[in-house]
Amino acid sequence: MHAQPTLQKNLHLQFLARNMMQGFPARYLSQDASQPWLLFWALQSFSALQVGLDPDNRQRSISKIMSWQHSNGGFAGGPGQSPHLLPTYAAVCALAIVGRPGPGGGWDEVDRQKLYDFFMSLKEPDGSFRVAEHMEVDVRGIYCLLVTASLLNIMTPELVEGTATFLASCQTYEGGFSSASHPFYSIETDRVLRSPRPNLGEAHGGYTFCALASWIILQNYLNLDPGTIHPSDSSSRKTPAEEQWSNELTTERPRIDIKRLTRWLVNMQGSEIELGGFRGRTNKLVDGCYSWWCGGSFALLESLGIGGLQNLTAKDVEIDEVVDADQPPDNSGREQHEGWDDIDESLFDRKALQEYILLAGQHPAGGLRDKPPKNADLYHTLYCLSGLSAAQHHIYSSHTRKAETLAEWKDEDSPNNALQKAVFADLVSWVEEEGTSRVIGPSNSNRLNATHPLTNLTITHTEAILKYFYGQDIPPRPFIKTGASKK
Amino acid sequence: MNTEQKQEKLLFAERPEWSDVDPIPQYETSTPIAPILYTPQYKDATDYFRAIVKSGERSERVLQLTEELIRLNPAHYTAWQYRYETLLALSSSLQTELELMNELAIKYLKTYQVWHHRRLLITLLRTPQPELQFIETCLRVDSKNYHTWSYRQWLLSHFVDDDDLWRGELEFIENVIGDDVRNNSAWHHRYFVVFGCGVRSGSEDRARIVRRELIFTKQNISLAPNNPSAWNYLRGILDYNRLPYSLCTRFVKPYTLPLDPNTVDIVDLENPPPSRGAELPCVYAIEFLADIHEKAGDKDNILKGVDLWKSLANEHDTIRKKYWEHRIREALQSAT
Ligand SMILES: [Zn+2]
Repeated sequence: MHAQPTLQKNLHLQFLARNMMQGFPARYLSQDASQPWLLFWALQSFSALQVGLDPDNRQRSISKIMSWQHSNGGFAGGPGQSPHLLPTYAAVCALAIVGRPGPGGGWDEVDRQKLYDFFMSLKEPDGSFRVAEHMEVDVRGIYCLLVTASLLNIMTPELVEGTATFLASCQTYEGGFSSASHPFYSIETDRVLRSPRPNLGEAHGGYTFCALASWIILQNYLNLDPGTIHPSDSSSRKTPAEEQWSNELTTERPRIDIKRLTRWLVNMQGSEIELGGFRGRTNKLVDGCYSWWCGGSFALLESLGIGGLQNLTAKDVEIDEVVDADQPPDNSGREQHEGWDDIDESLFDRKALQEYILLAGQHPAGGLRDKPPKNADLYHTLYCLSGLSAAQHHIYSSHTRKAETLAEWKDEDSPNNALQKAVFADLVSWVEEEGTSRVIGPSNSNRLNATHPLTNLTITHTEAILKYFYGQDIPPRPFIKTGASKK
Repeated sequence: MNTEQKQEKLLFAERPEWSDVDPIPQYETSTPIAPILYTPQYKDATDYFRAIVKSGERSERVLQLTEELIRLNPAHYTAWQYRYETLLALSSSLQTELELMNELAIKYLKTYQVWHHRRLLITLLRTPQPELQFIETCLRVDSKNYHTWSYRQWLLSHFVDDDDLWRGELEFIENVIGDDVRNNSAWHHRYFVVFGCGVRSGSEDRARIVRRELIFTKQNISLAPNNPSAWNYLRGILDYNRLPYSLCTRFVKPYTLPLDPNTVDIVDLENPPPSRGAELPCVYAIEFLADIHEKAGDKDNILKGVDLWKSLANEHDTIRKKYWEHRIREALQSAT
C-alpha cells in the first residue's frame, strides 16, 4: 500500500504564486472572459491552504476586481466587457477575501443599487434569470446571483419570486438537477404553466450543486409569512408577476424530491476501483472537480434533514480554521481517541474521497486536476481543494446558532426586513462540531481550512462581509483561530 | 490564397479600413496581478473590439471583427452579444449566419455561446427541421455533449407543436441507445421525449406507452444488467406514472442472485432473464428489491429489505456503506 498520502501544499502554493505573479500563459486566453474566476480560484485556493495575501498584493487584487465593475451594474468577465452573473459572483467573492470597507477597499465601491437593477433586468417570467443580456438561462447563474445578493444584502422577495419554482422544475427523474427547464405559457393568461416544464439536459453535478445551494438560500423566502409579501389588501393592484407567484408560499409551494436527490448524489461517488472520486453524471468517469460539486452537496443535504445528527447532539461549536500557514493548529490528540465511524454521520465515503484527491488529483508539478495524466489548472485546483476540505470537515447548519443570530438581530425599517434577517441568520448558522474533522494522511500538513457550504468561502471571510453589509452583530465563535496573514 | 484570407493574417492595426478607429487597450494598473499573457493577435483584436463597443458602431466590419475575435476565443460572450445585436441592427441574413455557425459549433462544441447563439438564430428563423440532422452530426463527434443534447431538447420544446419535427424522435433515440446502452444522455432524452414534454397526440393511451417503455427498458437491462442508466429510467417510468415498484418484482429477482448456470433461454417479454455471462448479482437490482420490501411496510418486509441493504453495505457496494446504513436506520425508524 501507499505511504501516508500527503497534500503537497508547498507545490500547490508555488503553482498558485506562479500564476498570480508571473501571469497566465497564453493558453489561458480562452479564459479572457472569465478573469474574475481566475482570480477567485487562485485567492480561494490560497485561503483553503491557510494562506493570505500581503497588503500590496491585496490592493492590486482589489484594483483589478474593481476594473471589472460595469457602469450599468454587475461585474464583467474583464475590463470593458458586459456584466454577467457568473463573473459577478467570482468578483464579489474575491472581494470578500481581499477587500475591506473604506476608501480603496472595494466594498464601498460596489454599486449595489445598480447591481440589483442589473439582476432584475435579467429576470424571466418563469422565475429564472438569464446570465447576461440575450444570453442563456441556467441554474449556475441563479446560484451566482443568490450568493451575491445574500452577501451584499440586496435580496428582496420581488427579486426571487418564482425562482424556487423554476429550480424545482429542473430536478430530473434521476434525482439530480439539469441546467434549466423550458417554460410553456398558457394562451389565455400568458402565465407559465406548472407542467410540463421539461428539463434541458440530464442530471449533472455542477448544476445540482448550484440548484441545491440556491434552493437552500430560497427557503428563507419560502418560509416567510405570505401576508407580508402579497398583502391580501385588494386596494393595491397586483402586478402580473405578483399575480403569477402570489400562491408560491402557500398552495403552489414548489417541492423537490430529496430522497431521489440523495440517491443520485451518493451514486455519483465512484467505487473503489475509481478510487472513490465523484463523477458528474451517470455512467461518466470520475473527475476531481466533482469532489466539490457533488462532495460539497452533502453538507447542503444535511441542512434539509438528510443524514447527520449534529443538531441533536451538538455541544460547543468550533470552526477549525487558521489564516496563517506558519502556525498550524494544535491538533494533538484530537484524531486518535475515537474511531472514525463513531462520529462520521456523512452519507458519502469521506475517506475514499480524500484518497482520490491526494492520490489522483495532485499534479506532480503542483496544482490539482481532473485525473491523471491531465494537466493542473486553477479551476480544478480550487474545486479539488474545496472538495478535500468538505471531506475533512463536517460543517452543518446549527439550529442553536441560527436562533442566537435571530435573537440578536436589530430590526431594520425596511419592507425586506424579514427576508434579510432570515438570509443573514441562515448564512451565519454554519458551524463545525468539535472533534469531527477527519484528515487522511499527516494531519498537520494535509489539513485545509473549512469552507462555507453555501458560498465556498472560508467561514471567516463569509462572516466578515456579511457583518459589514448587514450592519448586524454576529454571535462569537468560541474557538475560532485567526492570525496575521502574510504571503 | 485570395486577398480576404491574406488580410486576415494582418493585425487590425495594419488594415487600412480600420485606420479611423483608435484601439483601446485593456485597462491595467502599472503592475497588474495575475495578468493573462495575450498573443499580439488577440490583444489587437480585443483592442479594436473595445473601441467598437465604446463607439456603438454597427456595421459589416463589426461582423468581421467579432467573427475573428470569436475564432480566437469562442467564450468571449461580449463579442457574441455584440455580434447578435449587430446582425439585428443591419438586418443581416440570419441564414448566412447559421451556415457560419455550422462550422463553428463543430469546432467549439464545448462552448456555451455557440449553442446559445444558434438558439437565438433558430428562434428568429423558425427553421427547426434541418437542425435535427445537424445535431446528429455533432453527436457523432461527441455523443454525450451536454450542450448538444440540451439544444435538441430546447428545439423540441420550443417547437413542441411541430409534428414533423417530432415524428422520428422515438426511432432516433432508440438508435442512439442501441449504439451505446450506457449513454445516459440518450436515456435522459428518451425520458424527455416520452414523458417530459407532456402527452402528444397519438400517445394518449398511456397504459400502452408505459408497457412499451417497461419492455424496452427490461430488455436493455437483460442485455447489460449493471447499467445504472437503464435502472434509473425504469424508476423514472414508475415514478412518473405513480406505479408501484412491486410491478417489477418478478423481473428483478433473478438479477439479485448469482447467475444460475442452468438457466434456459426463454422468451418472456415482461420478464426477460439476465443474459448469459451477466455479472450478477446486480447492485441496482438488490437496491430495487429492497425498495419494494420497504414500500410494503410490514415488519417482515422491512427486515428483508434490511438484509439486502446490509449485503450492499458490507459486500456488493461498500463505497456507499454510509448510505445503505442510513437507509436501514430510516426504514427501521418508520417501522416502529
Ligand atoms: Zn472537472
